[in-house]
Amino acid sequence: MSFLHTSFTRRRALTVAATAVTVALAAAGCGDGGSAPTLPGNAGGEKVAQSVFDAAPVASDAEIPAGSTMDMIRKRGYLNVGGSLDAPLLSQQNPVTGQIEGFDADMAKLLAKYIIGKPEVKTVTIGTQTREAMLQAKSVDVIFQTYTITPQRATQVAFAGPYLTSGLAVAVRKDETGIKGVQDLAGKTVIVGANTPAVTALPSAAPGSKQVAFATDPQAVQALLQKRGDAYVQDFTLLASGAKANPGMKVVGEPFTTEAYGIGLNREDAQFKEFVNNWLKKIQADGTWAKVWESTLGSVVEGGTPTPPAIGSVEGS
Amino acid sequence: MDALTAHLDELGHGLVTTVQLTVVTTLGALLLGVVVATLRVCPVPLLRSVGMVYVEVLQNLPLLALLVLFVFALPTIGITFPLFTSAAIVIAAYEGAYLAEAIRAGINTVGVGQAEAARAIGLTFSQSLRYVILPQGLRAVIQPMGNICIALLMNTSLAAAVGVVELTQAANNVNLVEAQPIAVFTGAGLAYMLLALVIGRLTGTLERRLAIVR
Repeated sequence: MSFLHTSFTRRRALTVAATAVTVALAAAGCGDGGSAPTLPGNAGGEKVAQSVFDAAPVASDAEIPAGSTMDMIRKRGYLNVGGSLDAPLLSQQNPVTGQIEGFDADMAKLLAKYIIGKPEVKTVTIGTQTREAMLQAKSVDVIFQTYTITPQRATQVAFAGPYLTSGLAVAVRKDETGIKGVQDLAGKTVIVGANTPAVTALPSAAPGSKQVAFATDPQAVQALLQKRGDAYVQDFTLLASGAKANPGMKVVGEPFTTEAYGIGLNREDAQFKEFVNNWLKKIQADGTWAKVWESTLGSVVEGGTPTPPAIGSVEGS
Repeated sequence: MDALTAHLDELGHGLVTTVQLTVVTTLGALLLGVVVATLRVCPVPLLRSVGMVYVEVLQNLPLLALLVLFVFALPTIGITFPLFTSAAIVIAAYEGAYLAEAIRAGINTVGVGQAEAARAIGLTFSQSLRYVILPQGLRAVIQPMGNICIALLMNTSLAAAVGVVELTQAANNVNLVEAQPIAVFTGAGLAYMLLALVIGRLTGTLERRLAIVR
């Protein structure tokens, strides 16, 4: 067709120009999308000292019978962990070192040390939707991912622990004065993290509130600062670290729920659950648990180190 | 199965949102596709380049990146759209680029003689496009356009990442309570499949009705 005619050289030059625009946009996207400029590690916390790992207990041979899951993991030489890479203070990949740091990540390493003798873990990033399926298919040995113990979930997987308790709290923009806690959220638009306990807890804790869910914590913080909602409801420790990194937001009121986090395990394997529970009791008793807490979550939460939760104290664990 | 039946209301709302998003964006994308395809074949070099830059930029960026950019970067320069509107604009713009290429392929199937004859009888460029080229060109690519619409339907699930509670997000929320991922997502998957089948049947019927016998 005559009106379709263009010279080839011009077309090629244009393609190059358009590609350049694409690349530039994508690069800009990287800058804006990763909207958590401050690393929580730099926000006051420090890495768990190597000495903590060195001093951590290792299971005796008597505790690892031949043919058990523990034996299999020991022979494999590393622990397959399901977790996150984007949860500040809990399980976040340090972009500089590539190491995964935080309370959950360090607990996973300590468990690996207990089984294998060295803190060798292989972390698989999994979505919160697929945790039950991953455990049932034995794609991972354990899940450390602020996995709230619920009776419904306990019909699908086994929970060792609880190894940490926390609760949901409310964060607002710095200039907000009308919201002083969860009781003031009725009729407000509340930002929540997709697939977090806030989604199910809010309707009863704050009747009449409207939810908007975002996929990641940095996105939710950004959305709060950009006024897409009046408040952000999330785990207290996450909010505390977020508020430290973003001066535009503050945490109001006390946590209004109690979430008990468990270590997700395959439901068929009662022996492994008992083994993990015994390990938890050991590291709680010898102070390792407290040391890990202090250098991770303790860096943003005020008040002293809490008492670790009692093993099996929650329905479903 | 209980996990699904106990939450039909929630899932139903999600399904309705997915259908709304699909219909709105399909219409937008079709409109954009025709406009951009026209730009790409028009005799004015500047307009031709505009069409090409549009296609190259939109086609070569991941949809999720575009969504996140649009939702989180625009407010920093003071432009904030509601979340559903944002998702609809971005998906329509993105799929519009793909549709434009399909439509351009359709235009290229129309013989050169048709265009020359149209111009020879005194039609202007836009008249020849409207009465001669596009009616034949569009009919030639109904099937590929239907495929793009199915892809569009699947891509609406990405809106979940920016806070739109469509079917995928509703399934996520139900799964959070029930912890039955296989049942919940199989159910959601079947719903997507049904919608895709409807689009497929529709394009099949359209193609049979409108096919040009040559």
